[in-house]
Amino acid sequence: MTKEELIEKLKGIVKPYVKNEEGFNNLNEHTDFLNDLKINSANLVDVILDIENEFDIIIDNDSMEKMLNVKAAMEIINAKLAEK
Amino acid sequence: MTGNDIVDIKLAAAESNWKRKGFLDKIFTLHEQQYISDAALPHEMVWKLWTMKESAYKIYTRQFGGRFFAPQQFCCTILTETTGLVAYNNTSYQTITVIAKDYIYSIARPAGVKKNNLINSCFYLPELHNYKKQLFIYKKIIASYNSVTGKMKKKINIIKDKNGVPFINCGNNLQIPVSITHHGHFAAFTIH
Repeated sequence: MTKEELIEKLKGIVKPYVKNEEGFNNLNEHTDFLNDLKINSANLVDVILDIENEFDIIIDNDSMEKMLNVKAAMEIINAKLAEK
Repeated sequence: MTGNDIVDIKLAAAESNWKRKGFLDKIFTLHEQQYISDAALPHEMVWKLWTMKESAYKIYTRQFGGRFFAPQQFCCTILTETTGLVAYNNTSYQTITVIAKDYIYSIARPAGVKKNNLINSCFYLPELHNYKKQLFIYKKIIASYNSVTGKMKKKINIIKDKNGVPFINCGNNLQIPVSITHHGHFAAFTIH
């Protein structure tokens, strides 16, 4: 999967939880889920569960700690997919 | 130093399905999940524990810096109907929780620290855009700080550090900690 494809998939996953459309329209590697997209922190759990389902991976506690932005999410997804 | 967190009960019910597979496991310890299954009103317990964790996290990051998402590792113990303890990484916080008809609200402070001169307010937040919402809350904080300390309103500023942790500054070197929370139609803050 290319970086662009992964970002597109993530866009689809976070969309239902986004509270700031402007941040969503400008979504890129450096986008912060909470600060830029205004996703509430309880919904961050939904984002993580949706990522687990979409990619068929398990995000452990250590990885979850870092799941605050698009870049971290991409790194974690790629690492977990590589382990498969 | 305090942290606070509020949940709009109606909005939480609309936004989050805590019964979703895996949801509780990601946030709560087995011990906490027991509190939820034993509770007469499980949804209230879910959000009560959540606000306890979030308010403790806000102090922890103020004390030690950093940003992370580790709700399950902030372990809650319920002491009485309104009080509790949250432990994380060798630090512990005492909490007070109010369960109102429409919101659940917790304030945390480091365990063992006596009540200081806390300035606290919890209020209704009208429907506004993100930016205006922040202005509305900031005005409330400034008015409250002005009425307690007598500092001129235009000298009171609310600033954030690089991690987004807010402080009140009155034009000198002093940074007064302020913890701010809002969700749906409710907002609150604690100063000190």
